[in-house]
Amino acid sequence: MTEEYDVEFVETGDRKARFLVRGVTPAFANGLRRAMVADVPTMAIDEVRFIENSSVMFDEQLALRLGLVPLTTPPEGEFVDGDTVTLSIDVEGPGTAYSGDLVSSDSLVQPAEDNVPIIDLKDDQRLEAEADALIERGKDHAKHQGGVAVGYRHLQRVEVEGDLPEFEDERSQIVRGVIEDDGELVPTSEFDDDLSNRYPGKEVSVEDVPNAFVFHVETDGSFTVDELVTRAVESLEARATELEEAVQL
Amino acid sequence: MMVPVRCFTCGNVVAEHWEEFDERANDGDEDPEAVLDELGVERYCCRRMLVSHRDLVDVVSPYQ
Repeated sequence: MTEEYDVEFVETGDRKARFLVRGVTPAFANGLRRAMVADVPTMAIDEVRFIENSSVMFDEQLALRLGLVPLTTPPEGEFVDGDTVTLSIDVEGPGTAYSGDLVSSDSLVQPAEDNVPIIDLKDDQRLEAEADALIERGKDHAKHQGGVAVGYRHLQRVEVEGDLPEFEDERSQIVRGVIEDDGELVPTSEFDDDLSNRYPGKEVSVEDVPNAFVFHVETDGSFTVDELVTRAVESLEARATELEEAVQL
Repeated sequence: MMVPVRCFTCGNVVAEHWEEFDERANDGDEDPEAVLDELGVERYCCRRMLVSHRDLVDVVSPYQ
C-alpha cells in the first residue's frame, strides 16, 4: 500500500461507531471486517456443571443460554488460549435468574449485561450451577464473536449536475450510507436516505469514491468499539508478519 | 420457551429488552414499533426476535 491512509469518525459511541477509512484496498477493508468478526478473542461460558436444575428447561438448553451471555474481556496478555474463569449461579424460585446473578471468580470477567433473563423459576424450583468461561475466537463459536453486524460501504460522492427540466416530476433517489458533499461527510439518515430531499429540483449524480470505506461497527458489550478495531488490526498484522517470516528463504 | 438471548441473524443481545417490551407492547397498549425504537432495537432481524416471541414457561410448568 503506497497510498497514505486516513481515518475519520462519523459517529462514535462505546458500543456502536461509524468511521471512514481512506486509502485502503477493498481486500484490506474486507480483511479488517473478517478479523473483527472471527479473529478477536472474547470470553464466553463453555462448560457448565449443574448441581441442581429443577426448572422447566433442560441442562443443555440452559448451558446454551449461559454461553450466549456476553462477558467482559480482560486486557490483552492477562489470559492466554485455554485459561478459564469460573462463574457460579444460585437462584431459587419464585423469580427469574438473570445474567447479573452470575458470580465471577475474577473481577476482570463479569457479565457485560445484567438483565438477560436466563430462566423463569416457579415455586420450589432452583438453579445452581458452576460454569467455566474460556477465551476463544469467533471462528470457533458465534458466542465468542465480539463484533455484531460489522460491515462497510463505499463512501459515495454526490455531485449536482444541474437543474431538473422544468416540467419533470421530482423522483426520489434512495442512497444509504454516508455521502461526501464538497468534502463534508453526511450520513444519509439526515435527509431520510432520499437525495431529492437534500437537493430539491436538482439533477445529481452519485458515484463510489475509490478506496474509501465507511465501516459500521457494533459490539456485544465484551469491549468497546475502539478496542475491537485495534485488536482486529493487531491480529491482521500478526498474521501478516507470520506469513512474511514463513515465506522467507 | 424463554426469549432467545441473542438475535439469530446478527448476534446482538436482545433478551435484556424482552421484559420491558412485553410489559409495554404486549400487556400494555403501546405501539410495538415505538417501543422497539425507544429500546434501541434497530435492525429488523433483532426486532422480529422480540415481536414474534411467545413465553411458554407458564404453559409448560404445570406438567413438570
